[in-house]
Amino acid sequence: MSNFIQLVKNEQMKMYAQISTWVMLIILAVLVIGFGIILKVDGGMTQQEAPAGNEWREALQAENEQIESEMEEGSGFAPMNEETLAKNQYRLDNDIAPSGYNVWNFVQENRTNVSIISLLTIIVAASIIANEFKWGTIKLLLIRPISRSKILAAKYTSVLVYAATMLLLLYVLSILTGAALFGTNNFNEPFLFMKDGEVQEAPIFQHTASQYLLSSVNLFMMATFAFMISAVFRNSALAIGVAIFLMLSGNSIVAFFMDKEWAKYILFANTNLNQFFTGTPMIPDLTLGFSVSVLAVYLILFLGLSWLFFTKRDVTNS
Amino acid sequence: MSKAVMQLKNLKKTIKNKPIIKGLDFEINSGEVFGFLGPNGAGKTTTIRMMVGLMSMTDGDVIIKGHSVKNDYKKAVQHVGGIVENPEMYPFMSGRKNLIHYSRMVPGVTKERIEEVIKLVGLEKRVNDKVSKYSLGMRQRLGIAQALLHKPSILILDEPTNGLDPSGIREIRAYIRRLAAEEGVAVIVSSHILSEMEMMCDRIGIIKNGELISIQSVNDALQQSEKKEVSLEAEPMAEAQTILNEVIEGDVQQNKDALTFTVTREEIPGIIARLVSREIDVYSVTVTRSTLEDKFLDLIGEGAIE
Repeated sequence: MSNFIQLVKNEQMKMYAQISTWVMLIILAVLVIGFGIILKVDGGMTQQEAPAGNEWREALQAENEQIESEMEEGSGFAPMNEETLAKNQYRLDNDIAPSGYNVWNFVQENRTNVSIISLLTIIVAASIIANEFKWGTIKLLLIRPISRSKILAAKYTSVLVYAATMLLLLYVLSILTGAALFGTNNFNEPFLFMKDGEVQEAPIFQHTASQYLLSSVNLFMMATFAFMISAVFRNSALAIGVAIFLMLSGNSIVAFFMDKEWAKYILFANTNLNQFFTGTPMIPDLTLGFSVSVLAVYLILFLGLSWLFFTKRDVTNS
Repeated sequence: MSKAVMQLKNLKKTIKNKPIIKGLDFEINSGEVFGFLGPNGAGKTTTIRMMVGLMSMTDGDVIIKGHSVKNDYKKAVQHVGGIVENPEMYPFMSGRKNLIHYSRMVPGVTKERIEEVIKLVGLEKRVNDKVSKYSLGMRQRLGIAQALLHKPSILILDEPTNGLDPSGIREIRAYIRRLAAEEGVAVIVSSHILSEMEMMCDRIGIIKNGELISIQSVNDALQQSEKKEVSLEAEPMAEAQTILNEVIEGDVQQNKDALTFTVTREEIPGIIARLVSREIDVYSVTVTRSTLEDKFLDLIGEGAIE
């Protein structure tokens, strides 16, 4: 086991000895900080001050009345309105003042950057095996008293460690940037959400963290996919290209085959686990349990193929 | 010779129905430097790759210190250190980091051992530079350092002096000899630079088209070709040639301003004395030793690749 940790340490050492890894970290940091600054300088909505004192009660009551009258007329988007109505009522009943745009809104908006991390992780996952072949170092790496399976596992673990590092960086940097630019008032505000027609309360920290993790499912699957292509074809360009193409076109693929019986078995129909917690699934008869099982099957398939090709094939020149 | 540390047993490799290695059987003993000689495409690298488990074997097995590479890979390969083809290292890391990287993969390599190895190959001054700034010779040294980290009992070096300057070649040669003699390491050196093999190796195995066509000790090989080719510069040449024809059985050829002929070493002084006594001016006598090279070419013939 200690042996395995040494291998992961090796992979991390090689990763951070390359300039490209640092460039990726910097790109992410620039995106988050730059986005914050643009919002701060330009954005209208972030300027909104939270109403002082008890004014928020009147504002919410006014909003509710307006929504109710809209609903009587039959206009507006019904489910959305009902939700707002219930949430507002909950705030009034429990004395929870809404906050203006603060650090948590910024953190939530930065969730879109998870797709940037997917992109970067795909690049890392695609290179980690293929580059050893490109550099020729695979020969010296494999003539050690360590099984190929263990080396493969160390490389995969290293990719996951990298993805986790990037996600943590994004999260922490969003909080820091958000706090610096938009203030930390209401830092401990609860997050309200609808579940089974009832308004529920959750700590905002828990909510945002779990949202980030749910958004990483796609990242995780595509990184594993890129890792597999890299192990099978020993070519990083191919792995990066195919994985990014699939990542970008995933939703269109699902939409295209939507009416087919087997559409729900497509990987991309199942990667968005957020759909089970907030909103409706793309394909009606999907459930969380089903999606997780499908994902598990794909994961085993990807890792199995990687393992098969990495451990069984001869190491020859190119 | 002491006990065999590596045995090849009917080792075969077939790729796409084409036999690449057609059954190799030989042993390598501890403390000897074994030269693996053959023309390009003969299967040297394929054999070496199978020895270290980079390639699977179609048939047969390699036994290292009693452990089969096929069935007990980890135990077998822990006694092996090597460079397969070029000494490729991570270019973006320093030499020391490269060594640390490999040291983590084998149990029991201490920091002191890393320093010791660096000193051994003479890289102290540049070990903290990135490998991308190294010359080929320095990479070769780093490659050897990497192979020696865990004190292997078998060292496999594919063209170890490739890219080294003459003093570097001599140094590595001396070092290989010392490893074999003092620490009892079996060294397998593959090369097609014959003169070098002659100076470095105890035994030489010659492989051609996937078959071992000869295996013999270097001393034997040299004794078998005792006759030397001698070229002589003398004046007047025609007369010298006549005299030579009197004493020598074979042909005497005249090319440009020298005469070439083949004799044994013992005959040479007599011939010179005779020439001098007949008032021929001898300017130079050069012995072009009939080396392994001729022997090698004899064995493999022309147009070696099938």
